[in-house]
Amino acid sequence: MLGLTWLRGLLTRRPGRLVASAAGVAVAVALLASLGVFLAASKSIMTRRSVADVAVDWQVEAQPGADPVNILTGVRGFAGVERALPVGFATIVGLQATVAGSTQTTGPGVVVGLPEGYPQVFSGELRDLVGASSGVLLAQQTAANLHAGPGDTVTVGRAGLPRVSVRVDGVVDLPQADSLFQKVGAPPGSQPQAPPDNVLLVPAGRWHALFDPLARARPDLVRSQVHARLARRLPADPAAAYTSVSAAARNLEARLAGAGLVGDNLGAALAAARSDALYAQVLFVFLGLPGAVLAGLLTAAVAGAGGERRRREQALLRARGLATGRLVRLALAEAALVGVLGAAAGLAAALAIGYLAFGTASFGATRLAAAGWAGAAALAGLVIAGATVALPARRDARTATVHAARQPVGRPGRPGWTRLGVDLWLLAAAGVVFWLTSRGGYQLVLAPEGVPTISVNYWAFAGPALLWTGAGLLAWRLADAALTRGRGPLRWAARPLAGGLAGTVAATLSRQRRLLTRSLVLVALTLAFAISTAVFNSTYRQQAEVDARLTSGADVTVTEPPGAAVGPQAAAQLAGIPGVRAVEPLQHRFAYVGSDLQDLYGVRPATVVDATSLQDAYFAGGTARALIGRLASQPDGVLVSAETVHDFQLQPGDPLTLRLQDGRTKAYRPVRFRYLGVAKEFPTAPRDSFLVANAGYVATATGSDAVGALLVDTTAPPQTVADQIRARLGLQAQVSDITTTRQVVGSSLTAVDLAGLTRLELAFALLLAAAATGLVLALGLAERRRTLAIAGALGARPRQLAAFVWAEAAVVTAGGLAAGVVGGWLLSAMLVKVLTGVFDPPPAALSVPWAYLVLTAGVALAAVAVAAGGAVRASQRAVVRSLRELT
Amino acid sequence: MTAGREVLVRCDGVARTFGEGERAIVAVHGVDCAVLAGERIAVTGTSGSGKSTLVHLLAGLDVPTHGTVSWPALGPRKGLRPGPVAVVFQGPSLLAPLDAVENVALPQLLAGAEEADALAGARRVLDHLGLAELATRLPEELSGGQQQRVAVARVLAGQPRLILADEPTGQLDHTTGTAVVQALLEAAGLLGAALVLTTHDPAVAGLLPVRWTMADGRLRQGRAVSSCSA
Repeated sequence: MLGLTWLRGLLTRRPGRLVASAAGVAVAVALLASLGVFLAASKSIMTRRSVADVAVDWQVEAQPGADPVNILTGVRGFAGVERALPVGFATIVGLQATVAGSTQTTGPGVVVGLPEGYPQVFSGELRDLVGASSGVLLAQQTAANLHAGPGDTVTVGRAGLPRVSVRVDGVVDLPQADSLFQKVGAPPGSQPQAPPDNVLLVPAGRWHALFDPLARARPDLVRSQVHARLARRLPADPAAAYTSVSAAARNLEARLAGAGLVGDNLGAALAAARSDALYAQVLFVFLGLPGAVLAGLLTAAVAGAGGERRRREQALLRARGLATGRLVRLALAEAALVGVLGAAAGLAAALAIGYLAFGTASFGATRLAAAGWAGAAALAGLVIAGATVALPARRDARTATVHAARQPVGRPGRPGWTRLGVDLWLLAAAGVVFWLTSRGGYQLVLAPEGVPTISVNYWAFAGPALLWTGAGLLAWRLADAALTRGRGPLRWAARPLAGGLAGTVAATLSRQRRLLTRSLVLVALTLAFAISTAVFNSTYRQQAEVDARLTSGADVTVTEPPGAAVGPQAAAQLAGIPGVRAVEPLQHRFAYVGSDLQDLYGVRPATVVDATSLQDAYFAGGTARALIGRLASQPDGVLVSAETVHDFQLQPGDPLTLRLQDGRTKAYRPVRFRYLGVAKEFPTAPRDSFLVANAGYVATATGSDAVGALLVDTTAPPQTVADQIRARLGLQAQVSDITTTRQVVGSSLTAVDLAGLTRLELAFALLLAAAATGLVLALGLAERRRTLAIAGALGARPRQLAAFVWAEAAVVTAGGLAAGVVGGWLLSAMLVKVLTGVFDPPPAALSVPWAYLVLTAGVALAAVAVAAGGAVRASQRAVVRSLRELT
Repeated sequence: MTAGREVLVRCDGVARTFGEGERAIVAVHGVDCAVLAGERIAVTGTSGSGKSTLVHLLAGLDVPTHGTVSWPALGPRKGLRPGPVAVVFQGPSLLAPLDAVENVALPQLLAGAEEADALAGARRVLDHLGLAELATRLPEELSGGQQQRVAVARVLAGQPRLILADEPTGQLDHTTGTAVVQALLEAAGLLGAALVLTTHDPAVAGLLPVRWTMADGRLRQGRAVSSCSA
């Protein structure tokens, strides 16, 4: 009964205190729950995107001696399989074609037999380039090797059997060649390094006619598979989806009783998404948890602002005989009320934020996850309420007198942790953890090869957490020392504001140092959080852009069809299109490095760096400009991959002989190059090894200056320019733009749409910055209203009262800003390093979002100005009102 | 009125009402009074009689709803009131973050004095009142009586011509309260200042020669030698 009366009294007489505390709890709960919504949304996005590009879900390979027909029946009858088609693979001795009097012969290859309707069922497996889309099809690279196209005749060499000739109907690209030609059932790590260089696709009937005899004579050279497409009713969570698909694949194998092995392409894609989902959880811990901690600290500051009044109320109740135990229960009731109100408001806000930011109003990818997230967020809110309302009240209730419980103003001793050097120990520990993490290659998501489970290396989180905490405590130590021993500099700094009162103002600041230091550290921690979050997000977006650029090549990329003889002068044709700033031709050839066929890119060193925004991270051992500059000064120079350097034990300047295809004879002949350096990435280049050389030297050596692509830098929206280029060129070339590429890049965490998370966290950071500065300052000044009223009663002019207020605001703001900027910069650098695995490719430098940081500083300063201005006005109004409290 | 003595503060038809409409409370009904130089006046009355409100109006800490308060002989206003007016409050009125000597020096600093001079003057006053050992102590390290005596030192340091004390002994025991009033009287005597002191304690009121009585917001003459009426 007393509890209800007490709560009713609080609601009617102290609504501000309750609402403010509940608001702090609500912010913490909303942030945690919103991140749960983000995880739910991003996980389902990851699952959706990761499987979108999987053309063939399962490739079930018949084992030696198994009947392919039975396997096809078994697969078609398996629950969840929507469509299943038989596919044959035959290993051949080679291909040969005579075109324009020149005969080209390839090495071993593969002929694939596709049934009718295959391209329609598995639409992502083949991409038409030239000619018909069915019949006898040459893979793009094979067509380039043979210099053959539609209408040409290709001779197929079969081991132990006569050669056969086929007429080419079309040329196709095989975007998923790696999975198509996988070694089904091979242990991890023993897959072929690259798909076969020479591939011919023929209709199933023709294939059987050609290779059934080979199957009888040499069964080791012929394989049969069943390609299956599943119904894909997958859970939203990638981990759950992976488990579901993998289990089904194993179940099918069991049902086939060893006759067939499943190449689980869908599972493999989901495995990658599963890692990405864990990274998303990692982002939550790194970026979201500090925000919730800050919200908790702010709630503590808000709740603490009413501490004096609460202690007086408690003292009155004790004087009237209320036992300590009942006092504590009253405090618990207040904490419960604040916690419940705050948690409810926070969850509601999170649902609204989730709907607006992510288009979904669910706390988790599954019902269980949703309940878990909501429950955990609400529990965190209740814990914060308990820690900030009930615990201080319990501590004060056990204090003997009101006097003893009074907040010390004048002579606070040094906190014990400063004598122990806790801040320095934490910073040292942060350095050690960071160093240990770096030795592990910053691997946060651990997926040991051959081990089905993956886990997160949560130990790596300790580094940034220790740095943040240690930096906050160090800021406390430095601020306390400055306010204790720096009376002279304080007086000097206060003189412009306070004039002759500078000494008094300095004395006031020094004796209130515990309160000021607490506020200053809160501001510093909040700004460090805001800065590190913003810099991380900005760097992430920068790298996502780099990733898209690497894939796309430029704002707009015009890719010439294979065999096209388009020279660099084609660039001029596009340069005049409105919105085009520059056009850079890029040669794309193939070159043999030993027996390994690699992509070769011929560039113009004088212009390529600026035209394509080459990043320093693309190269090793120097900047982009430096490495390309070496090419400019060494015409026969070549940049190679690290793997090539290792395989051939190359030293800078070593000669390297490559075999390039002659433009006239189409034969491969040796061309001498000189190794200059390592290229790790290059626009449009594959993830495999590749080469970068001088376009002029390649043109001279091969007798052909044909380009493979035109990289277009635009001043107008890329999609608009791309449309204009398509209209001018027609269907002769493939035109892609970076905007579209950005949306379809799905190979890594860049597939995760972090825009919503970014908006969420940056908005919370702004809110927390305003609260940490303005709100905490306002509450602190409210506690000193009496001091200001007395000063006013003693004759202080408004300007003099304002000096006290503005001096305090200046100390908290300037100190908090300085410590926050330094801490934020250090935290940003560490976060980006520790979260290296999130980026693809890793950043060469941090991206600083100056606009947002200026906005944050502006919001903080504005909040301070509002709080201080309000306190100044209140101090003048309060003279008479406060006198009633004085008397 | 005694001829030849300056009028330090005058109330002409002063009234103060708090609130509006049906909830309005008239704390002071139209009061005409004046305090002359050197007077020692005790304003007595029960709780809620309006004596504190009257003193607040005399000190410029409050603004009358009707009438005017003026300080003819004390020069122009500097903020709330003219410079040579000092106020002593009932409750602890020292600024918590400042030690005793800084508190005593504060009014001078607010008036524009040099810091070194103001602090030196404050130390002299504390020494004169026998409070030198309290100079570096913070208010929370002083007893109630010590705080009030430091407040008296603060008054003395400003060398006012008019001292207004609102229940300065209200939170003190009799002995300590009497000592504080004696200190105030001594300070007023040293400075030749007028002293107006509100109290509900007849023993304290008996220490001052002139008595004004407030009842229900009206000022009635008691043993008054000055002219004051409501």
